[in-house]
Amino acid sequence: MRLQLGYVPLTDAAVLIAAVERGFTEEEGLGVDLAPAPSWATLRDHLALGLLDGAHMLAPLALACHLGLSGPQARLIAPAALARNGNAVTLSLPLWRALDARSDAVADVARAFARVAEDRAGAGRPLTLGTVHPYSSHTYQLRRLLARGGSSLSAVRLVVVPPARTVEALERGLIDGFCVGAPWSTVAVEAGVGRIAALGAHIAPDCPEKVLALTADMADRAAPLLRALKRSARWCGDPGNREALAALLGHPRHLGLDPALILRGLAGTLRLAPGGPVIEAADYLVLGERELTPDPASLDWLADEMAAAGQVAADTVRAEAAGLYRPDLLAAA
Amino acid sequence: MPDRATPAPSPGDSLTIAVVDPSRARAAILEEGLRAVEGARVVVIPDTADLLDRLSAVSPDVVVIHLESPSRDLLEQMFGVSRLVERPVAMFVDRSDTPMMQAAVDAGISAYIVDGLRAERIKPIIEIAILRFNAFARLQRELSEAKGELADRKLIERAKGILMSAKGLTEDEAYKQLRRKAMNEKRKIVDIARAIVTAADLLG
Repeated sequence: MRLQLGYVPLTDAAVLIAAVERGFTEEEGLGVDLAPAPSWATLRDHLALGLLDGAHMLAPLALACHLGLSGPQARLIAPAALARNGNAVTLSLPLWRALDARSDAVADVARAFARVAEDRAGAGRPLTLGTVHPYSSHTYQLRRLLARGGSSLSAVRLVVVPPARTVEALERGLIDGFCVGAPWSTVAVEAGVGRIAALGAHIAPDCPEKVLALTADMADRAAPLLRALKRSARWCGDPGNREALAALLGHPRHLGLDPALILRGLAGTLRLAPGGPVIEAADYLVLGERELTPDPASLDWLADEMAAAGQVAADTVRAEAAGLYRPDLLAAA
Repeated sequence: MPDRATPAPSPGDSLTIAVVDPSRARAAILEEGLRAVEGARVVVIPDTADLLDRLSAVSPDVVVIHLESPSRDLLEQMFGVSRLVERPVAMFVDRSDTPMMQAAVDAGISAYIVDGLRAERIKPIIEIAILRFNAFARLQRELSEAKGELADRKLIERAKGILMSAKGLTEDEAYKQLRRKAMNEKRKIVDIARAIVTAADLLG
């Protein structure tokens, strides 16, 4: 069997990339054409129109596509999650200084962030914040961070910035901050233009992040791929393999970035500020076999967040979302 | 919710089409084609980090964007959810027209269209974009094939030269030897030529 699979070049595509590159799919008798996509929208369209059999996908976008809210509607299934956490909110250095947060604790950062957001909105110069797609946990994490400090998304100008352009956009003042997946916050800190203000893991712990989305007709053919993913997730979750994984992901064929930057996220040793100390954040991004099982309860979380962001009524999501998550397929594989 | 107070343009009204494409050559070819659309103003916007500000300034009715562009997600936010443009809410081609959508994706295009624009105004735009993008892809394929043929011919010329000087053959005899060897081994002449050139490089 030959499968066409796609991904967006990010650290949390690791389990899918390693499944192919380390030969786990081949050992299951699968031929796989694995190709990076330039945007989530293109990945979604190719999956929905059947040009791909499966893809690394933002969980909310897979749900939105399944519900017909985004792009061509298609029945999808998500038999596996690919990683836990991995996002961070990074602010420009001037904005971080303006926050003057009492500490790095998320409660203090949220309060200061919300105060500046409200002040700027009041002055007619709202903050411009970048997310990765309207239907993303990144959007919801920005909303939560603002809400925790007493502000809301309506106080800011929310725009989408392709991850690879976040550093340039921050440096040129086109945006004041962004929420993005690994390794792009680390890239911004190392470039000396950004300060990690809060980790996604601390804003909304264990919220649904990326899933493996398949076209619904893959349900009875997914077992070999899921077995390969289990072995890959085990390999990726082994700390002894982190350096090899970072080198694999850093290859020009995939992320095309310095493996040392990718390794930071994999190891949970992050530098929050340019030139600052390295901190330990073991839950920043978690890979492993245990993380593969998609939790149907998290669809409730997504329904509430989509509603809170004004995207759709929560009841609509609840009524239609059943059938997207298929942990049974993973368990049976 | 979108502001539906703004009236939809009627067929005679002018229409602003923005073209976003990481390939400038392809964007130029599409721009030229779209100029044929009646009443259309076509603006090519470079696919760079300040795309959003430039797009907001142009306030297009239709954005035609190549699937290779990383900025597609930005348009989904701009048209689908936010209130950055005055008449938000767009669609991806026409959801009811699956063959058209399939053809558009195959050709590598996506379009974001301001709500209220009539289907009969959109269709010719998408059709032109599909034709132009397919023509561009065909040109590129032909160009790369032509480059390949030129490289093959050069390789065969070198192999002939090597045979001529090593074995004292005429050009015609050298070519016949190459051809015979290729036929006997059921390989292409260029493959035999490459083997000779490689061997000569190693020995020479």
